[in-house]
Amino acid sequence: MSETTLTRRQLLAGGMTLGAAGLLAACVGTTSGGGGGGGSAGTGAVTLQNSIQDADPKAALEALVKAYQGGDVTLNSVATEQFRAQLTNYLRSGDSPEVLSWYAGSVARAYADEGLLLDVSSLWEGDGPCAGFSDALRSLSSDASGAQIFVPTNYYWWSVFYKRSAFEKWGVEPPTTWDEFHALCENLSGQGVAPLANGLSSTPWMASGWFDYLDLRLNGAQYHRELLAGEHAFNDPEVVAVMEEYKRLVPYFDKNAASYTAQEAATPVAQDATAMYLVGAFVSGYFPEDQRDDLDFFSVPVIDDAVPTAEEAPTDGFFAAARSDNHEGALDLLAYLASADAQQQFIERSRSSNLPTSPDVDTSAFSPLVQKGIALLNDTEEITQFFNRDSSDALQATADTALTKFLADPDSLTSILDEWQTAAEGVRGS
Amino acid sequence: MSAPPTRRRLARVPLLVWVFLLVPLAAELFWVFWPAANSFSLALTRWDGIGLAEPVGLQNFRDLADDPIFLTALRNNVIWVVGFGGLSVVGGLALAVTLNRPGPFVGLYRSAIYLPMVVSLAVSGLFWRVMYAPEGPVNAALGALGLESLERQWLADPAVALGAVLVAAVWRQVGYIMVLYLAGLKGTDGSLEEAAAVDGANAWQRFWRIVMPQLRGVSTVVFAVTVIDSLRTFDIVWAMTRGGPYNETQLLSTYMFQQAFTTGNLGYASAIAVVIFALAIGFIITYLARQARTED
Repeated sequence: MSETTLTRRQLLAGGMTLGAAGLLAACVGTTSGGGGGGGSAGTGAVTLQNSIQDADPKAALEALVKAYQGGDVTLNSVATEQFRAQLTNYLRSGDSPEVLSWYAGSVARAYADEGLLLDVSSLWEGDGPCAGFSDALRSLSSDASGAQIFVPTNYYWWSVFYKRSAFEKWGVEPPTTWDEFHALCENLSGQGVAPLANGLSSTPWMASGWFDYLDLRLNGAQYHRELLAGEHAFNDPEVVAVMEEYKRLVPYFDKNAASYTAQEAATPVAQDATAMYLVGAFVSGYFPEDQRDDLDFFSVPVIDDAVPTAEEAPTDGFFAAARSDNHEGALDLLAYLASADAQQQFIERSRSSNLPTSPDVDTSAFSPLVQKGIALLNDTEEITQFFNRDSSDALQATADTALTKFLADPDSLTSILDEWQTAAEGVRGS
Repeated sequence: MSAPPTRRRLARVPLLVWVFLLVPLAAELFWVFWPAANSFSLALTRWDGIGLAEPVGLQNFRDLADDPIFLTALRNNVIWVVGFGGLSVVGGLALAVTLNRPGPFVGLYRSAIYLPMVVSLAVSGLFWRVMYAPEGPVNAALGALGLESLERQWLADPAVALGAVLVAAVWRQVGYIMVLYLAGLKGTDGSLEEAAAVDGANAWQRFWRIVMPQLRGVSTVVFAVTVIDSLRTFDIVWAMTRGGPYNETQLLSTYMFQQAFTTGNLGYASAIAVVIFALAIGFIITYLARQARTED
């Protein structure tokens, strides 16, 4: 971030540090290359580039890596946005980190298409650690040729989260139909409570949550995937219908939504000033510890019965770089991270509401909230991930601009959708 | 002076000095000029940072001319150069003149005003984000004064967001300009001012006719520093708004960063970098040429 203020001296110092780091890395390489037989698998040094930033999940991964017996693992944790910016550089460099944490789906597939990801199909075959994962996960983790290039280790669901105690206080019930949802919003507004939370300042992608769900409810998952793949235009009548529905929600949002981040937006919900928050299950980490058991959720109600049910379930995990030195070590570490034991430990230690991808994880001890999340995803007909994961980070940027602008000025809908389509074509053309 | 003595003097420069000069020069060429030159050639390509760069001629620049976000960024940059430059120079000069005379706590004031400069722009940005938060001190102060109607979503309302960031940036820069002018004022000749006072010039005339001309050297430095600083402003905007809401506070630098590292259009981003470079060089050369002419 600071490259514009780098002085020449800092640049030189940086260069020297890089050089020194290179030397150090070379030393590490030599030593463990020689003594690699010490571990049980003896697969040599492996670098794990980690983008997990929240404190508890990061600590959980550190603990997992520490317990790994297969060889020396250097864990580099990088802030998510920085990681995103640097990811192509990591994968392109001649001495790429062996294993990197990132997301399944289109976003991983795009890197695979460039030939940057290691084929990890061997983990998905026979008695490999991923062999028992669901078919949905398998297809999410496959590249265009059908080979697996991703190892999913956990996922989570999106829903409308609320506090049971607050709903009791206001004398309201979770809605089951779209009309009830609107009636609930009206009721809460009348009581002086902001019905819907959101945080769009440095996390403008949060505006895509409602967009995705309204598109899933009105046009269905198939259309949604096609739209994000560029087969439909953002100014098509189907999308206009989604935005008209979105427009009806605009008055219900917390008036400070544009100033909050995703995390800050949870504060008024915790304080019973705002009622509901369409967000990923990671939101439980934003609430005070003594409120987490009070959290509950309901799925965005069905709008059109004819449309198959669908939920968003972003999948996290790891992939391996094709251009690293130690493919064997990478596969061994991936196998470890994908194992049921490692998944269980990660989820427990990270105190998140994430779900395991391995069917062998014993989920009976997980909180009722997580049990309900598992049931939600088991019952739904279609699963999507999230706007950026079903398309690309570049297309997400166009959505951020269009949707935040729309939320500030819903009446300019037509021109905003035209601009969005132009911007999307620009992204796809480049 | 004839050539031979010069050559003899050069020959007398010890080898070690040449080494000390050439090593940094080589480093500078490799680490600064070579990448900079590269960005010029990249500006003529389409490159995602992964595959091969595909030459597209001037297409990137034609696209820029039609890109609404680029035009917003350009407009914002003009506002920024004028607002940031103008406010920090006027503010810094006024503070320097005020604090140049002896008085109680002058040293304390000077250090207090310079203090924000010590903090990095990114940290200032975070600090001001707290100030501007919906329930933050700025809105709370307005509420306490009974000015609820002036309360705003300072960083989320496109009408005021750029101004809000500008205030934060000027808050930091003003101390720096003040120090530069304070140093300049120490170098002015007090007796000239006294003589003018004896001749009946009032304070305003003395300042503009006697003091300011003596500050011309400092003003050149201040101008150059301010223009360069305002064109390269990045961190405070990135820390406060990331160019949002919906690109309304985008500057050329933040848009360049976004294009290069979020969207992965390195060729397009390099074209923006070339525009920034041309603007900075244009400003500075015009100004220096004018300065040189007035000094002749």
